Amino acid sequence: MSLLSVSHLSLTIQDHSILHGVSLSVDEGEIVGLIGPNGSGKTTLFNVLSGFLKPTSGSVHYRGQDITNVSPSKRAKLGIGRVFQNFGIFREMTLEENVLVALEALPKQDRKNLGNLKDVVHGTLDMVGLLSHAKKKAGSLSGGQMRLLEIARTLKSGKTFFLLDEPTAGVSPKMTEQVADLIRQLKIEGKTVVIIEHDLPFISRICDRVIVMDVGRVVLTGKPQEVKKSKELQELYFGAELV
Amino acid sequence: MQFFWHIVAMICMSIPNILGFNLIFGKGKIFHFGPIGVSTVATYGVFVPLMHGFSYPSAIAIGFVLTMIISLLFAWLALRLEPDAFGVMAIAIHLSLLAVVINWISLTRGTRGLPDIPRFFFLQTTQSFALFTFIIALLWILFLFVLHRGSFGRSLDALAEQLWYAGSLGIDRRWVTVIAFLIGGLGALITNVIYCQYVFLVHPSDLNFPVFIFFVMVVVAGKPGSVPGVLCSLILLTLLREGMRFLPIPSEFIGSLRLLLFGLILFVAVWVRRDTLFPKARSV
Repeated sequence: MSLLSVSHLSLTIQDHSILHGVSLSVDEGEIVGLIGPNGSGKTTLFNVLSGFLKPTSGSVHYRGQDITNVSPSKRAKLGIGRVFQNFGIFREMTLEENVLVALEALPKQDRKNLGNLKDVVHGTLDMVGLLSHAKKKAGSLSGGQMRLLEIARTLKSGKTFFLLDEPTAGVSPKMTEQVADLIRQLKIEGKTVVIIEHDLPFISRICDRVIVMDVGRVVLTGKPQEVKKSKELQELYFGAELV
Repeated sequence: MQFFWHIVAMICMSIPNILGFNLIFGKGKIFHFGPIGVSTVATYGVFVPLMHGFSYPSAIAIGFVLTMIISLLFAWLALRLEPDAFGVMAIAIHLSLLAVVINWISLTRGTRGLPDIPRFFFLQTTQSFALFTFIIALLWILFLFVLHRGSFGRSLDALAEQLWYAGSLGIDRRWVTVIAFLIGGLGALITNVIYCQYVFLVHPSDLNFPVFIFFVMVVVAGKPGSVPGVLCSLILLTLLREGMRFLPIPSEFIGSLRLLLFGLILFVAVWVRRDTLFPKARSV
């Protein structure tokens, strides 16, 4: 059975149709790339999967459970983590507080299993080389550091399924590699990841499968190398087949 | 010396209500413009039954239930309306409640208010009021300080900064909002039960819109969300308000002058904090 299964998902906002019957599935332990031109509905699909937008029709199943109408906070408690395009960290809080607030939101038993939260916080910051900034406000970090903090926080807060929205956007090439390493680490730990990205070489390097979206529809799916060579993708991104 | 005890009592009895409001409006950045609406229900919820023959414990129990109900109503609206719409709705509810207490004369005596409010047996002097309210204020400050610094405070901060980011971590907005409003309601109840005994009177003029302006001014001037800042601001502004009685101007002008001065202070405080007063819209 798929970990995540999306069937005939449609979304219309103020007479504007954004998603048209999107169907896809993601297996446990898979790393899936979600690509497509701007305005193709990738982030909107993530917003529906995270529970921030309610679909007009269709359904979302997670571990066999219908979560179409489940609130974002309950989805998070089920293990669905989200990394946002514009750095989903709390800039007015310190780095410590940013991690702590995520750990405190865990169900009581999971929180107990973690042991001393302070140690987990410091371990999380150490993992991404930010321990020395623990008491600083998160707003003072660079884009790459914010991204690392966000991914590490999501990882340590017990999530098993990750929705990463452009994790390398605004990140230096060196830090992009660190982000890639973190995502590979997720795979090693058996986590499942769906990544929205425009960086096709990055997607090719780390994904098992790629889904291509255009104008609110899934138009192509396959292994990265197959998708990369397809005419449809080249037409979508470059307007014509590359010679 | 009597004036000193009076000032201590006035400041300390305001603390539960003001810090409760600060939790919602200052820390939670929820446009709750109806704290005096909650105070109206708390005040009349306790003292109408009391004046109709109920004992103090029963009257306070009735007032407590009614205050929690109105707090839940505000929390429900805050969760369902856009922030600015909730702000307008909260003002409308406050003014509607005020209209009810002014016009339901058979129950509330309207603008004549409810006189001869009996005091607790241990609150017979200004000094005893000062001491009692000081203890209550200390306990309330301690409670809110722990709340602000703990996981509840961090959840409220996270929700205030970005709802979606907080939701994606598993922070339950409904739960946090409801708790914040219930604590605010409890603060309103404590303050008003003590204040009405202090002045022997329940009067709608103590529950009108300028009182809300004073609340906003205290929170904004003190730094929204900061317990020490709001406490300092409350002390200074209460001293200013009470101290104006000693100005060598006719007493009929003092009320108007006070409003003008408070309006000016509020304007300056909002201007100074214009960048940090409310959360900036951040896309996801």
